[in-house]
Amino acid sequence: MNKTADRIAAVAFLAIGALFMVESLRLSKSAYGSVVGPNVFPFLLGLILVLLSVKLLFETRRYAEAADEKPPRQYKKFLIILVAAILYAALMETIGYVIMTFLFLVVGFQTMAKGTLWKSVVVAAGFSLGVYGLYVKLLQGTLPSWPVWFQ
Amino acid sequence: MSTLSFLLDGFQTALQPHNLLFAFIGVLIGTTVGVLPGIGPISGVALLIPVTASMTSGLSPEQAAASSIILLAGVYYGAMYGGSTTSILLNTPGESSSVVTTLDGYQMARQGRAGVALAIAAIGSFVAGIVALIGLVLLAEPLSNVALKFGPAEYFSLMMLGLAAVSGLAGKSMTKAWIMTVCGLLLSTIGLDNVSGVARFTYDISYLYGGLEFLTVAVGLFALGEVFKSILHNEKNDGEIAKIGRILPTKSDLRESAGPIARGSLLGFFTGVLPGAGATLASFFSYILEKKVSKHPENFGKGAIAGVAAPESANNGASGGAMIPLLTLGIPGSGTTAILMGALIMYNVQPGPLLFDEHPEVAWGLIASMFIGNVMLLILNMPLVKVFAKIIQTPTKYLLPLIIAISVFGVYAVQVTTFDVFLLLAFGLLGYWLAQHDYPLAPLVLGLVLGPMIENNMRRALTASNGDYLVFVEKPISLVLLIIAFLWIAVPMVMKLRGKSIIVNEDM
Repeated sequence: MNKTADRIAAVAFLAIGALFMVESLRLSKSAYGSVVGPNVFPFLLGLILVLLSVKLLFETRRYAEAADEKPPRQYKKFLIILVAAILYAALMETIGYVIMTFLFLVVGFQTMAKGTLWKSVVVAAGFSLGVYGLYVKLLQGTLPSWPVWFQ
Repeated sequence: MSTLSFLLDGFQTALQPHNLLFAFIGVLIGTTVGVLPGIGPISGVALLIPVTASMTSGLSPEQAAASSIILLAGVYYGAMYGGSTTSILLNTPGESSSVVTTLDGYQMARQGRAGVALAIAAIGSFVAGIVALIGLVLLAEPLSNVALKFGPAEYFSLMMLGLAAVSGLAGKSMTKAWIMTVCGLLLSTIGLDNVSGVARFTYDISYLYGGLEFLTVAVGLFALGEVFKSILHNEKNDGEIAKIGRILPTKSDLRESAGPIARGSLLGFFTGVLPGAGATLASFFSYILEKKVSKHPENFGKGAIAGVAAPESANNGASGGAMIPLLTLGIPGSGTTAILMGALIMYNVQPGPLLFDEHPEVAWGLIASMFIGNVMLLILNMPLVKVFAKIIQTPTKYLLPLIIAISVFGVYAVQVTTFDVFLLLAFGLLGYWLAQHDYPLAPLVLGLVLGPMIENNMRRALTASNGDYLVFVEKPISLVLLIIAFLWIAVPMVMKLRGKSIIVNEDM
């Protein structure tokens, strides 16, 4: 177990618990016909979370300081895909489902392993058009269709 | 007698052509999910909820709920079948409940008996599925009748017991499991309070008034979290796949595995009924049991057929048994059943003692479809095992970005806001980080699903008692449940202090 990570987490959970406690104080204290208002449950939970975080913080003192030898991580690949996914979500409603899904998949496939581009293009086009056709045309679902300036 | 007629009605529901199709799709996808190393049963079921929601959109609410739960449950036990395939052929378990199967399964494969091992696993799973089904039919009615007598205080305590059981057994650190549970419960308070109508923790963000959608959280934590891990850790599935060879087991194989299958099924079923124990523990227990019972314990680990038959029966029995607390008490005992429960709630079907009265079509249709699904799995798996073995070789290059795209599609299709897609990505990152540092994710989802019910019952009990918190210990049933919950946490703690190692459920 990682000492630093758990300490950071414990402090974060402590803050979350405290936040919920403070914020639930601002909620109404009673509901109509009941002495128990909507504030009670979150307040108690916040308190329990604070106590548990303190417990975790104490437990981290007993962790053995492990020599941290991390195997190499693929940060570059991961970041490219993450940014691509964020752009995918952000632009989906303006540019449309089919185009954004296609672009995201091509970028994703090529980032995972550089290979022949046409294969990635075929799979990406197949998926994005297939989902759109099945879901929107056949099942009458709602997806952002094509770029807004086209319509 | 009435149970029997209800069961027949259930078969009528399950045998409708579209439900047969749904069961078939469910077990097919489930087996695929089980075979693919990247996604386990939890993320498989979570990913498919939006897909089923759109597939069933033309049906009446009751029918839609029955059909989609049939499909989702099919995924659940289909994955149990599929998980064994990779254990045997690749020596890498598809999910944690098949870890033990690698011990003898892979050895059998090396001796050229992979086909037999796969067949025995399928037969064992089938028998266990039937045992679990019979147990479900026998226990469902009486258990829900008991639970019908429960008032809010008893319900509250029962759910505390459920939480205690799952959190007590999940992961390496109990503190972390509890933190996750409480976080799940806290997240469930976001949105409009359904007693008073007060907006809680929404900060005028209109998307938050409906609360955090459980689906977004579950898909993010489980499916995306695992994808992120596979990308970052550069996980590849390029191991050597063993030759399958002859599939039909010989008579002596069957004779040797009959006992282990029977014991494994029963043990698995009862382990599954207990909340928190689940399929992984069941498979471990049954392996240990077989080793003790066997006349040749030295053969275990060297390709003993009992070492495949018992755990594979046990994990399937457990997944059937886990349906009992879910359907009769409304308490999910594991991450996957929590997600199934969330799916039912999405359809406005509340699992619990009233389920059998209010939605008999859903409850009995599901039970009957489990039988049909098991038959399908047996038929599907024996001849098609070679096809499924091919799926293992799906390159991660395509698989991982596609899972992200499916998650985004699923969440957007149900919620129709990009806010939820961002939330999905955020929970994916969180899920990766938490899992990486041994914070179990299942308790969080469980807390999120059970949160509103726990709060409602607590407030109803307290309203009735005029705010007196002693009401939970004054009612005898409630007190007993709370004591069991307390023991569930305290006993492992004491054992740990005494230096005994306890088995924990890694998959939770």
